[in-house]
Amino acid sequence: MGIFGLSLRNLLRHPVRSLLTALSLMVAIFLLCSLRSMVTALTAAATEASTTRLWVQSAVSLYVGMPLSYPTRIEAIDGVKEAFPFQWFGGVYQDPSNFFGQFAVDPEKLLRAYPELVWLEGSPEDFIGTRTGALVGTGLAKTFDWKVGDKIPLSGALFPHPDGVDVAWDFEVVGIYEASKASLDENTFFFHWDYFEKTLEVDRDAPVEVGAIVVSIEPTTSATRVMSEIDALYENGPQRVQTTTESEFQAQFASMFGNVPFFVSVIGGAVLAAIVLACINTMLMAAREQTHDIGIMKSLGFPDTSMFRLLLTQSFLLCGVGGAMGLGLALGSEGGMRELVSSMLPAYRILDETKILAVVLIVVIGLVAGIAPALRSSRLKCIDALSARE
Amino acid sequence: MSNVMIAARGLEKTYTRGEETLRVLDGLDLQMDAGRFNALMGPSGSGKTTLLNLVGGLDHADAGSLEVAGEELAHLDSGSLAHWRAQTVGFVFQGFNLIPVLTALENVELPLQLSPLPRSQRREHALHALELVGLADRARHRPKQLSGGQEQRVAIARAIVTDPKLLLADEPTGDLDRASADAVLDLL
Repeated sequence: MGIFGLSLRNLLRHPVRSLLTALSLMVAIFLLCSLRSMVTALTAAATEASTTRLWVQSAVSLYVGMPLSYPTRIEAIDGVKEAFPFQWFGGVYQDPSNFFGQFAVDPEKLLRAYPELVWLEGSPEDFIGTRTGALVGTGLAKTFDWKVGDKIPLSGALFPHPDGVDVAWDFEVVGIYEASKASLDENTFFFHWDYFEKTLEVDRDAPVEVGAIVVSIEPTTSATRVMSEIDALYENGPQRVQTTTESEFQAQFASMFGNVPFFVSVIGGAVLAAIVLACINTMLMAAREQTHDIGIMKSLGFPDTSMFRLLLTQSFLLCGVGGAMGLGLALGSEGGMRELVSSMLPAYRILDETKILAVVLIVVIGLVAGIAPALRSSRLKCIDALSARE
Repeated sequence: MSNVMIAARGLEKTYTRGEETLRVLDGLDLQMDAGRFNALMGPSGSGKTTLLNLVGGLDHADAGSLEVAGEELAHLDSGSLAHWRAQTVGFVFQGFNLIPVLTALENVELPLQLSPLPRSQRREHALHALELVGLADRARHRPKQLSGGQEQRVAIARAIVTDPKLLLADEPTGDLDRASADAVLDLL
């Protein structure tokens, strides 16, 4: 029976208390992994954003449209490869709770600007050549069980169909993609700008406007210069614009959820701190109960370092088991969690850095919870420890 | 070669409890030879346990010299004293002092953890010590599953398993009934 075995036996001396402490740590680590994954999912698009894509929006707000002539003029700026409308559609599929992003885009320019878009089914030619064709992310295809050839009706909540409010916009799934980077959402529905524009033009006095423009620039071009030039181009109207990098644009989009990362971090941190205190309490109680045993072992000749190791090993064991269960639970439920939050946080996944953080935290909690009892036990005078009673 | 096992000269030990200072050992001179069975007798509070604690290296004297098994204990720091205890002394306490979460066999094997013996030999030695005290059939029992007399016999097995030079027993029959006490004294 070595130090490890004795540590285990000591933990099992009060199995219910040890189990409850381990379970509380399990919950804390599970929460930490899940909450952190939500934060990383929220900011993933900004973190992995392309450096060769810029976003142009009205300087007033993302909800204010810009004249359709803007992309053409922007393309004339030195270093700009292409610019195209990226229009939020805001349609409803069957039920308003089926929320996902739908964008009217130029198909050819989209495919050139987004090399991270990987075709799973269908082909670029089908998408480009089909006026009502829709290219959908694999996340959406899985959620709604869509296949290539399926007809998808969307009610135009923001842009009602000219034939009537009750008339749906008809689309046909012509392609399914997945994203090789988090900069592209796998729960997005792309369709033809032409179909959008021409359908709306039928019964509209005012010209169709565009809410956002994606600008693709040469890799060697200075994004700062291009952004300045675009902003300067429309400084005097008709609609002033604000050009940002994709990273800034995505971060701005994420900030529309409020300071969620901050609150999530605070909640996660508070839960963790409470659990650390619980672990420290458990270990202090354990050390106090084992004082007499420590006296016995010291009388037999066990050195102070062995007592230090005994208590620290117990702490690491307790925290290790609880933490491992929490990490295991987080990893085991990753798929289910992803489905649960897919509409809001499609990039939800437990990153390696989150796993490493969890492991580091488990070790740190084990150390913090065990260090005081371990030091106390090692410093106890043999004669004093022997006179202690549980 | 000297046959002296314990040599104390001018040994002093004082305890402080609150504002009261208790001089338990006051310039004690003592010599005991190896190979002998010695009994210390005296009224309660006379310092028997204090002396045993000092001789066993569980505590330090305030003054004086104490040489046990050829080692001047005052010269040893905490770590060296622990090592010396493991090599030299076997203790039998009044309250048995067995680790409650370990079986009888594991309790007896515990001091051997500090020896270089491989696990199989440690087990063998511990089982042999339990056989010597007549408790081989209780090897898998925990202290709570044993009677007081059996617990003390396990404690004796633990004390002798390392074959120490010095066996110290502090009122080993103090917590036992007459029959168990006789059995333990016979064993010692």
